[in-house]
Amino acid sequence: MSGYFFSRKNRLVYLYVMPAMLVMALIVLWPFVYNVVISFSDMNLTHFKNWKIIGLRNYVAVLSDTNFWYFFFKTILWTVLNLIFHVGIGVMLALIINEDIKAKSFFRTLLILPWAVPQYITALTWRGMFNSEYGAVNLLLDHLFGLQVPWLSTEWGAFTACLITNIWLGFPFMMIIALGGLQSIPKSLYEAAEIDGASRWQQFKDITVPLLKPVMVPAITLGVIWTFNNFNVVWLVSNGGEPSDKTHILVSWVYKAGFTYFRMGYAAAFSMIIFAILLVFGWRFIKHTKATENVYS
Amino acid sequence: MSYPQFTDDFKQDKKLLFRTKLWVTIIHLVFVSVLILMGCAKKKEKIIVWSSMRPVERAVLDSLLKEFSTSYPQFEFSQLFYAPEEARTNFIISALAGKGPALIHGASDNIGPFVELGVIRPMEDLFSKNYLNTFIEKPIPAKTYFRGHLYQIADRVGNHLCLVYNKKLVPTPPKTMSELIEMGKKLTVDENGDGKPDRYAIAWNYTEPFFFIPFITGYGGWIFDKNYHPTLNTEATRKAAQLIYDLVNKYKIMPKECDYEIANALFKDGLTAMIINGPWSWGTYLKNKIPIGIARIPKIDETGLWPAPLVSPMGYSMNVNLRGKKLEITKELLKFLTSKQAVLRYTRVSGTIPSVKAAFKDSLVQNNPLIKASLDQVMVGRPMPVVTEMRWIFDAMRPAYQGIFTGQVTPEQAVKQMQKLAEKLIKENRE
Repeated sequence: MSGYFFSRKNRLVYLYVMPAMLVMALIVLWPFVYNVVISFSDMNLTHFKNWKIIGLRNYVAVLSDTNFWYFFFKTILWTVLNLIFHVGIGVMLALIINEDIKAKSFFRTLLILPWAVPQYITALTWRGMFNSEYGAVNLLLDHLFGLQVPWLSTEWGAFTACLITNIWLGFPFMMIIALGGLQSIPKSLYEAAEIDGASRWQQFKDITVPLLKPVMVPAITLGVIWTFNNFNVVWLVSNGGEPSDKTHILVSWVYKAGFTYFRMGYAAAFSMIIFAILLVFGWRFIKHTKATENVYS
Repeated sequence: MSYPQFTDDFKQDKKLLFRTKLWVTIIHLVFVSVLILMGCAKKKEKIIVWSSMRPVERAVLDSLLKEFSTSYPQFEFSQLFYAPEEARTNFIISALAGKGPALIHGASDNIGPFVELGVIRPMEDLFSKNYLNTFIEKPIPAKTYFRGHLYQIADRVGNHLCLVYNKKLVPTPPKTMSELIEMGKKLTVDENGDGKPDRYAIAWNYTEPFFFIPFITGYGGWIFDKNYHPTLNTEATRKAAQLIYDLVNKYKIMPKECDYEIANALFKDGLTAMIINGPWSWGTYLKNKIPIGIARIPKIDETGLWPAPLVSPMGYSMNVNLRGKKLEITKELLKFLTSKQAVLRYTRVSGTIPSVKAAFKDSLVQNNPLIKASLDQVMVGRPMPVVTEMRWIFDAMRPAYQGIFTGQVTPEQAVKQMQKLAEKLIKENRE
């Protein structure tokens, strides 16, 4: 076996990938190992340079902290709701754009725009629009329904504001992926189904969905990981977790612990737990959906 | 059985393949060599200053850096803006990684964490006594010492909150809280009759602890005892929180959901008659031709005390990673940026109180009514403690204090939560 790996032919391959491997080791492996080490340490503002190993204390502190479980619940809710809307809106728009409609390319460009604008700008713009007295959202709600929602000053209002912003940012990605998938489905399948008397819903259920699955499953996996770790939107729209440090997901809370409170050991342990959650999810999800298997096998 | 023979075509194909490979290799080699040479090309070394200055002051800093760069053409001088919290975090991260700007400009409350983390260097050995003696000691010392070492040299002092009013709307500023409330009821106007005020009497970033502390002192309280143990669970803190809550919800003279940018925009657009803000903002108001006046934050009737804003020097600290020639040039740059001429330029555009004795005595300072009023507020201010605990106090106050305005907690509950979190943060970080 080792003879196969280190055969003359394979040695050349290793040589080619060596620079990339070295860079990966430097920028991924080393910080990861360092993070593991400091997660067992008391590194904080007072012991930043003279830290020592303290065993599993940080892990115990994280898991016994009610904040962890509360923000874990919020993160799950955040991820699930985002993904439902991202995929739902994305696929729906892709189905519309895939039809022969007028100004197709114009609409396609228009719908990709939210994705093209930097997240930072989008998030801050939405934050301004959610102001209860002067924001565009409430001005519109007030005009149409006489409603004044305290978006940013209540816990669930701020959560909803972050959610709406991220839905706005996330659906174009799913739309593009779904559109690519839809365009690769042969038209003949629909024609045959039509001859057999299948309704539009049956065509969607039995042709579109199964054939979109190989494309959408990896996109959803990525979407889950990105959304689970979407620090920018939550941090910027809620202005660092406001009100009262309630608008957090796990990653924004870990950032606060690390870079506001400088509890590095605790934050490192926290991030290892996040890593473990995502690793288990990714592994189970890919295995369950067989996403890495060849579509045509 | 005969084996196939190499034909001429096959030989020619092989030759062609070899030639193609050779050319591809040569092109790649040339490309990589060019890249390496470009990387090795001598670049100007950069000296960067990070600041949280407002745009009008950043323009002054830009012109000062440009002026200074003429003496050192081998260096490139530039500045980068960060909001105060981001500046602190990003500076720590970059300096710990051995990088970061040469100088960081900000208030002295960052010195504690910077020193604990070892990201700034002591400066007393870099400058002569003569130079260090050019700075004022009163009303606030311009040089910040921590654990016996000099860590910051200010170009201005104060950084304090004042009551800023629009003279068109408020000819005489209120002296007491009851006056403010009475005046506020008249100044808060619903012009179109839709039941919502179109103009408020006053606005400020009231959910931020820095803007809340003056009111605690107005009720006779403070945030620490002499051992830097938090003292937030007090009647003074509770009453102060209740007052701010009432201004928003009972008297309705302040807008809800008002952060710094909203308050600032409202004041600039004439949609609020008064604002509580610091010297960093005055330049923008003056530039926008707003007829501003400055006064003390109104006195608390119940105690007869003036709310005491935190006062501190604002200046430059040096990155610990500076070495050799770059350290020398940065030292000269710091001297230049804290020269009389330089500090007075900021005074001219935004009315800051200069940190240099000669500038402090200048007629520009002594005859300026805005600076006089600003100094009057400084006189009742309270020096910002230069201890790391200050950060944890701010961080501990924020969640519970904001909870009062979202209706999650009462002021009584909030002060207890503030105290508990402050003790927890200090314990967690000191253990």
